Amino acid sequence: MYRTLRLCSSGGGFEALPEPPRPVDLARIRAALESAHVPVLDARVMLIATLEVEVTISRAGRLLFKTADPAIADRAFARLRPLLEGGAPGGGPAGHD
Amino acid sequence: MARGVMLMSGGIDSPVAMHYLLRQGHELLAVHMDNRPFTDDSPLSKVVDHLTILRERYRQPIPLYVVPHGSTQITLMRETDRHVGCVLCRRFMWRSAERVAEREGATFLVTGEALGQVASQTLSNMRSATASVHLPIVRPLIGLDKQEIEAVARSIGTYEISTRPGVCCQAVPDKPATRSNLVQILREEERLDVEQIIDDCVRKAVIL
Repeated sequence: MYRTLRLCSSGGGFEALPEPPRPVDLARIRAALESAHVPVLDARVMLIATLEVEVTISRAGRLLFKTADPAIADRAFARLRPLLEGGAPGGGPAGHD
Repeated sequence: MARGVMLMSGGIDSPVAMHYLLRQGHELLAVHMDNRPFTDDSPLSKVVDHLTILRERYRQPIPLYVVPHGSTQITLMRETDRHVGCVLCRRFMWRSAERVAEREGATFLVTGEALGQVASQTLSNMRSATASVHLPIVRPLIGLDKQEIEAVARSIGTYEISTRPGVCCQAVPDKPATRSNLVQILREEERLDVEQIIDDCVRKAVIL
C-alpha cells in the first residue's frame, strides 16, 4: 500500500501516500499506536504520532514526517508502515523517490 | 503615529506589509500564531529572522507575541465543520491579535493579506473572519499581485527567509470554503467557549 517516501512540496518534510489512494481507519490506527506505546494526539480528522519525529496521519492516508532528514523519516516510516497496513509496528527501511 | 499589531506568519507577505507601515513611521508589535503540532518550528524561526531584519532597518524594538494556536486547531477539528476551518481559524487569530492590542494600547490591526492568493483570501472569507474583531484592520498589500510583493520582499531581504523549506499547515482542510456564510460561521462557534479559548491562548503567549 505505501511504497515510497518523498520530499513534500514545501521541502520541509517527507510524505508518503497510499497507493492506490485509500482512506484509513484512524480509530484502528490510534489503538494500534497506543498499544505500541507510541504517543498519539487525536484531532478527529487526523492523528499526530510522536515517533523519532512527529508524523501526521490524515484520514486520506497521507503521512507527513516533520523532518527534512531522510534517514529519520525512513526510520519512522519503517516503524509505521506495517502498522498502517494492518501488521505490527516494525519493518525495514523504506525506499525514496 | 499610531500603534498597531501585525499578524506575522513567516510567509512572504507579512514582512512586506510590516515594512510599508514601519516606513511610514508607525509603531508595530508582532503576533505569531504558533500552529505546532500542525506545522514544524520553521514558521516561528522565519518570523524571528524577519523581525531581526526589520528591527535593524527601522530601529524599532517590535516585540513579538508568540501565541499558541495548536490546541485551538484541535478544538476546531473536533467540534466544527471542517469545510469552514480556515475561516474559523482566522477568526481566532484576529481575536488573539485584538486581545494583544488591547493589552498593549494598540489601535489597529495589520495583515499581509492580498485578495485571491489562497483559498481563504476571498472577500466573503475576509469579511467572515474579520467580523470577529472591532479594531480597524489595515491591509497594505490588498491590491498588489504576488510578483510585486516578491520584488519588495527581495529588496528588503526577507524573501530568502520566507522561502526556506518548512512544513505547510496540516490543519488546512482538503476543500476549504471559498464563499463562507457568516451565519453558518456563528452557528459553528456556538459549540465553542470562544472567550475561554482566547483567554487560554493569550495567557500562554511568550514575548520575544
